[in-house]
Amino acid sequence: MKEEHRLLIALQDLDIMIKEAKDQYTSKELKSLGFKLNGLEELQNARKKLIKKIPPDILQRYERLAKHYTMAILPVTGDLCLGCFGKLPTSFFSATSRDKLQTCENCGRLLYIP
Amino acid sequence: MDSSKLVSFFEEDLCIFHLRSRKKKSAISEMVRHLARHGRISDEQFIIEMLKNRESLGSTGLGKGVAFPHGRSLAIRKLTVLFARSSSGVEFNALDRKPTKILFLILAPSDKGAETYLALLSELISLIQKPTKLKKLYRVKDFKSLREILGGNEK
Repeated sequence: MKEEHRLLIALQDLDIMIKEAKDQYTSKELKSLGFKLNGLEELQNARKKLIKKIPPDILQRYERLAKHYTMAILPVTGDLCLGCFGKLPTSFFSATSRDKLQTCENCGRLLYIP
Repeated sequence: MDSSKLVSFFEEDLCIFHLRSRKKKSAISEMVRHLARHGRISDEQFIIEMLKNRESLGSTGLGKGVAFPHGRSLAIRKLTVLFARSSSGVEFNALDRKPTKILFLILAPSDKGAETYLALLSELISLIQKPTKLKKLYRVKDFKSLREILGGNEK
C-alpha cells in the first residue's frame, strides 16, 4: 500500500475512533460495558501529529469529504465505489492509475485499489 | 447472541495459550504478529499503531485479569478475534491495576457498522462475569477447552 494511502486510512480510522468516543450511542454503549473513554485529548494530539505527515492538497481533499461522509476514503472492490455503489470506468483500473489515489466521479470519495 | 454464534468467531490458529510478553506494548505486538503470521493482516505496524491509539483513549484492560484490545480499520476486511492467555500476567494498565491473564483482541472493518463488534464485546464481557467460566479461562490450555468454555452453560 502506498504511504499516502496508508496515512489517509490511519487518519480516517482515528477520526472514526474520535467520532465513536463522542457519539452518544456508541460511547454510552462502550461505557456501559465498563470502558473508560477519558483520553480524547490524546487522540486529538495523535491526529495533529498524523496530519503533519500528509501532503496538504490531499489532506484538504480528505477534510472536505470527511465533513460529508464518515468514509471519505475507501478501497475498491470489483468495479464499484463502495461509498455510492457507482460503477467505475475501465480507465480507473489502467496500469498507470492503479497506484494513484483516485476520485469517484459520482460521489467524489477518494478511492484506492488495495 | 447464542453460544454457538460466539464460538464461531474463534479459530484455533488465532489462539495463543502461552503469551510470552509481560508488558502491554509487547503483548499487543506479539498478538498482532501472530495475526500477520496467519495471514489475517498485512501491515502489522499499522494495526499496532491503531491499537495504541485506542489504548490512549482508555485502557481496554477491564480488570479481573481480562483485557479487550479492539479497534476498527479499513485495513481489516473481516471481523477477526484472537484469544491469548498469559500464565504470568501482562501489565496492561487495567482498571483494577492487576495483571491481565486473558486477552481478547478484536479487529473489525470500519466500513461496516459497529453493531457486530459491539455485540461481540458485550457477549464476551458477560461471559467473564460468570466466575466459573472466568476461572476456567485462566487455566485454558487448548482450543477444545476454550470452545467448551465459550459454548458451555455454566454460571
